[in-house]
Amino acid sequence: MTVDRESFIKSKFREFYESSSSRIEAPPSIEMREFGFLLFKEKVMVRHKGFRDVESLRSFLRGTVPLHAYYSAAYYVAPEEPMERKGWVGADLYFDIDADHIPTPCRKLHDVWVCRGCGFKGRGTHPAKCPICGRQSFTEKTWPCEVCLEAARRETIKLVDILSEDFGLSQSEIKVSFSGHRGYHVKVESDEMKGLDSAARKEIADYVTGTGLDAKFHGLKATEGGAGPLAGPHLGDSGWRGRIARGVYDFLLKADRESLEEIGLRRKVVETILENREAVVRSWDSGGPWGILRGVGLQSWKLIIKKGVEAQAAKIDTVVTTDIHRLIRLENTLHGKTGLLKVAFPTDEIEVFDPFKSAVAFKRGEATVFIEEAPEFRIGEEVFGPFKNEKVELPLSAALLLLCKGMAEVAQ
Amino acid sequence: MNLVLTKSDWAKYPFVPEATEYIKTLDLKVDSLARPEFEPILNRAESRVKEALLTNPPKVSYLEHDDEVELSSFPVAVLIATATADEFIKKRYALAEARRAYELLRNEDKWKVREVAKAFGWRVNVVTNGAPVPRIYDLKLHFVDFLRNVKAFHESNWKLINRTMLNGEVYLTTQEAARLLQEEIRRHIEAKLQAGVGFTLPPNVAKRVEELRRIRRERFRGAPTIKVEFTEKTAVDAFPPCIRRLYEAAVSGSHLSHAGRFALTSFLLNVGMPPSKIVDLFRSSSDFNERMTRYQVEHIAGLRGSRTKYTPYACDTLRTHGLCPGEEKLCQGIRHPLTYYRRKLMASAKKTRSADQE
Repeated sequence: MTVDRESFIKSKFREFYESSSSRIEAPPSIEMREFGFLLFKEKVMVRHKGFRDVESLRSFLRGTVPLHAYYSAAYYVAPEEPMERKGWVGADLYFDIDADHIPTPCRKLHDVWVCRGCGFKGRGTHPAKCPICGRQSFTEKTWPCEVCLEAARRETIKLVDILSEDFGLSQSEIKVSFSGHRGYHVKVESDEMKGLDSAARKEIADYVTGTGLDAKFHGLKATEGGAGPLAGPHLGDSGWRGRIARGVYDFLLKADRESLEEIGLRRKVVETILENREAVVRSWDSGGPWGILRGVGLQSWKLIIKKGVEAQAAKIDTVVTTDIHRLIRLENTLHGKTGLLKVAFPTDEIEVFDPFKSAVAFKRGEATVFIEEAPEFRIGEEVFGPFKNEKVELPLSAALLLLCKGMAEVAQ
Repeated sequence: MNLVLTKSDWAKYPFVPEATEYIKTLDLKVDSLARPEFEPILNRAESRVKEALLTNPPKVSYLEHDDEVELSSFPVAVLIATATADEFIKKRYALAEARRAYELLRNEDKWKVREVAKAFGWRVNVVTNGAPVPRIYDLKLHFVDFLRNVKAFHESNWKLINRTMLNGEVYLTTQEAARLLQEEIRRHIEAKLQAGVGFTLPPNVAKRVEELRRIRRERFRGAPTIKVEFTEKTAVDAFPPCIRRLYEAAVSGSHLSHAGRFALTSFLLNVGMPPSKIVDLFRSSSDFNERMTRYQVEHIAGLRGSRTKYTPYACDTLRTHGLCPGEEKLCQGIRHPLTYYRRKLMASAKKTRSADQE
């Protein structure tokens, strides 16, 4: 970050915290939480901070103006002590869904990588080795694009569905927020969850990601002691049974030769499935396709189910869910990579929530920036770009997004 | 339907609160254990602990015909086991009592099992007809209570994802519920055994405590702990596929996730690689920061901060974090990458030995 750009961003962040720190609310039991802040200066992380009340937190934010602000999902007896003396009491259950964990086709349009050895640039996911100098190390620039965020939204919807249907959590217990960058956070603050240890959280993470699923426990079996035709779960079944069936249904409805071969099915099996697609679709009206295709056996169905499960599972960052000491971005604070806010919204609004409207912190003002390169993007109702080597006057929120992303400089 | 636990139930499950309440009314005092009329209770109490030490797997039999002695000998047995001040005896006794309860519970009807479970605060209900789940289930248990008790089980049928769960309730057969209760009961009794004995025992009781200590010494003296020393030179060839992949990535300077770095570092420390060598390993990483890396490696080694040496991730955790590249032949039946490493080392040592003999 050049000094100009950094001090410009910091001055805007300062204005925000001076005028809007009252929007920041205390997490439950604020006195038991650890806070952490990433400072502009030298990108230092200040951890192990504690606040007795929300006013002292707000005044700290106004005085310090951090690039990022975090609090612990955990509750401690003494949050300001070093880790081993904090006295862990419990932690909220957290799920992090980040587009970085979801492969989207648009990544090759907007994500840029630069070789750390020779500076060679490319788009999409970086290669294993730099084609020019052979180094295996790259810096990456991602982009909070609408397609990626839409993919993250789909994952969040699947997660919320699993949490409410299977785990029996109510809409009011499940709290969803936009992270301010490329994803969503889902938290459950109930006393019930607080005491769960890391092993229990791992089981929950495995449940939502479909990890370790064995279809034989969900109804997939050979009837009559192994000699008869196969039987399996049905579309309307609850829990993972139904998800398996729906995942398989979706996959077989659209799968072409290539995608069937890709999952490791033998050529003969692929032929049989393609020839009988009609019958497969109709079979769901009765017992499902499990026993109707000659030559498609248990092993083949397991491969197909694996694919179906992948589609039905929610792609969360498992490390966040299993870490009982995790620091989480504080709601209604600015994300240093975008200048957007982390904002919560009612769970039932997830289908219609618009991050590029609701998370905009700076609603007034303009700035003139020089943009090296930026994809097309939207803030509110307005669409900007794409830009390449040009000087433009933009609404402040749009300018800050590019500045924070390192795609633009403040024009003199 | 609500069912009341009777006195003969208390004799079977003497740790439930109602049984404890009842025992309190008997006004059993430590001093009174010296009196001859308490001899049968004391005998039974001693035999409970003794049987746990003499059987394998440890068990305590259930003597059906004397409810009163069965019931009141339990707290006395707990007292005796506590007084041995021997962690091995305590753990073994708790396990034996828990297994006794399991054997009894698995043959009870679902309503009875539910009552015992509720005594431990479980949120558990009987499955009613017409529930949208397979018919084999008798009980449904809140998933938090399930997760608390399932930790020691590694079979895939106990994984939450392989259970039928609906609306926060995990569906169980009576036998499965009994098995989970065994874990709850074991922990409950272990906790009871942690209280100290703050008074002097009458001589006839102290003698029995000493006898149990003697049995423990004789039966389990110097049981050889199986331990394979890792060679000083870390044998990269013997790394399991998950660690090999992370190791190669680190050597070539490719990016590793936090979980990946932790998995690799904690593994290497546990196979005897010195921290300074591990720091060197990360040197080719582009964002290498010597001070930071050294701090983190030493932290994991237990040389800093909380001073706990971290054990490497088990296979299950590696799978959760997407670090398992898929099983190799040698991975089958293995739950921890260190086990793979040890087995491979032993196999290659055997090979070398037989090659030497030829």
